[in-house]
Amino acid sequence: MPTNGDAELRVVPVRHVGRWIGAVVALVGVAMLVHTLLSKVPTGQVACHVVNGARRCHPIVNWRFSWNIVFHYFSTRDILNGLVLTLELTVMAMAVGIVLGVVIAIMRLSHSRLLSSVAWSYTWFFRGTPVYVQLLFWFNISALYPSLTLGIPFTSITFLHINATALFTPATAAVVALGLNEAAYMSEIARSGLIAVDEGQIEAATSIGMTRSQTMRLVVLPQAMRVIIPPTGNEVISMLKTTSLAAAISVVELLGAAINIYSANYEVMALLIVASLWYLIVTTVLSTGQFYLERHFAKGSLRTPPPTPLARLRGDLVGIARTIRASRGLTRRGATS
Amino acid sequence: MSVTPSTPMVEAIGVCKSYGGVEVLKGVNLTVNRGEVTCLIGPSGSGKSTLLRCVNHLEKHDAGELLVDGNLVGYEERDGKLYERNDKQICRERAQIGMVFQRFNLFAHLTVLDNVTIGQVKVRGISADQAARRARELLERVGLAAKEKNYPSQLSGGQQQRVAIARALAMDPKLMLFDEPTSALDPELVGEVLDVMKDLAQSGMTMMVVTHEMNFAREVADTLYFLDHGVIEESGEPREVLAHPSSERLRSFLSKVL
Repeated sequence: MPTNGDAELRVVPVRHVGRWIGAVVALVGVAMLVHTLLSKVPTGQVACHVVNGARRCHPIVNWRFSWNIVFHYFSTRDILNGLVLTLELTVMAMAVGIVLGVVIAIMRLSHSRLLSSVAWSYTWFFRGTPVYVQLLFWFNISALYPSLTLGIPFTSITFLHINATALFTPATAAVVALGLNEAAYMSEIARSGLIAVDEGQIEAATSIGMTRSQTMRLVVLPQAMRVIIPPTGNEVISMLKTTSLAAAISVVELLGAAINIYSANYEVMALLIVASLWYLIVTTVLSTGQFYLERHFAKGSLRTPPPTPLARLRGDLVGIARTIRASRGLTRRGATS
Repeated sequence: MSVTPSTPMVEAIGVCKSYGGVEVLKGVNLTVNRGEVTCLIGPSGSGKSTLLRCVNHLEKHDAGELLVDGNLVGYEERDGKLYERNDKQICRERAQIGMVFQRFNLFAHLTVLDNVTIGQVKVRGISADQAARRARELLERVGLAAKEKNYPSQLSGGQQQRVAIARALAMDPKLMLFDEPTSALDPELVGEVLDVMKDLAQSGMTMMVVTHEMNFAREVADTLYFLDHGVIEESGEPREVLAHPSSERLRSFLSKVL
């Protein structure tokens, strides 16, 4: 604290007027939102009963957002089954997307012109058509290939023969469609990560006798992860929501389950809220996981890792406590002097 | 070719290398004897680094013969034909040649200790315990025993370069290549790296050093080569060459760097 001779001077902080106005406006907005979320509206129906011989009637009011219905359906078996299927679709489609994406990225960076053009074309095709169209395409693939055969290409030798309609259930079609589409995006993410690793790292690995695959696995990929993880986290969250498109090919995932229920009871808004709440909960959990994953892979690139939310909260509390203590000390000194 | 103690560690006979039409090495002849320190000096773009990188096959030379420890680099001679070696064989050869880079190139995601053990464990198949013991010995030798748990980003340039030397030594190389090991360092950090290199030279390691440190070359090197425009312009005993340069090019180069 600056001092002037032996008399201690009080420091007056700058007033941030704009910040205060903004805060007030935001606060009013939040209050309005909470109000409307918790508001009740007349249902148009009237409830009557007899009190002391007189018949009294009053309109029935209900939550505008039908919270009672939301609450009722929130954890029903159908919704939870849908949620589980949504998570399964997300995990499987992302697994396909990540593995295939990394392979395509490595192909894209290959010295072989053929491999890199194949990789480029893959990305071009799958990024260039809507994922919804791809979903419908795989759902109807059995129209194109009624049966699938595993054998030696261009010969009559076959090992396995499968009926495509049986294989491509709606859920399989969804995993294949979402996974292949995701691979196109993941390959770009993986490629940017691989490119970001300094050429010198590869030379150093090569110079101590590592093979190309060792260099890739032990040196390049772990460092590329730092660049790859954050956008991949976004992709997972995005995938979680994109799986809802599978409802359109009669997969009963979370949204599908909600639709099934509201087409029977017409509580459209309530069930959409149920689905939304579950999507929000899962994305929140995923974002937290992403934070810790990023922190793990930042090892070696930062001198000090970023604080965890808990550590930050503790820091904030300590800071506030210190401010309060300091201001008390200041007044006491002011009072005695 | 049979390997005898008198076979030079490195022998280049008319080595040529060009990048997209630009000739970087135009027939270089050079010999590095066992247990000796050879320094390569010359202006930038003269081909010193390229020659060094050809020795451990980071670059492929286009023509001429390059032998390390009596074996052709990257090729095998059988029945009067040259067979290109496969990746595995080349990796095995490289593992026996240590290399230290201008920009250190420590593995950024690994601790100092892991940087020194990874090659031993993954390339040489040594057990993790044994590798760690050897790594600690080497870190002690380069004066960084206390830093084993740090990440490279937490070290100064000089410390990073010393770890890089330890990493290369961990492979028990028969030859060490240094590519301008002190050029990226702050002046006050150059000494600590040169000290480690001098110590290494005294222990009898065969070393090929591309450098701009003329004092180091004068004091430590057994042989000095001056490269310019892709050819060896002058070579010999370093004190002699540096004190009495016979070519005009070396004279003009020395007048700029000394």
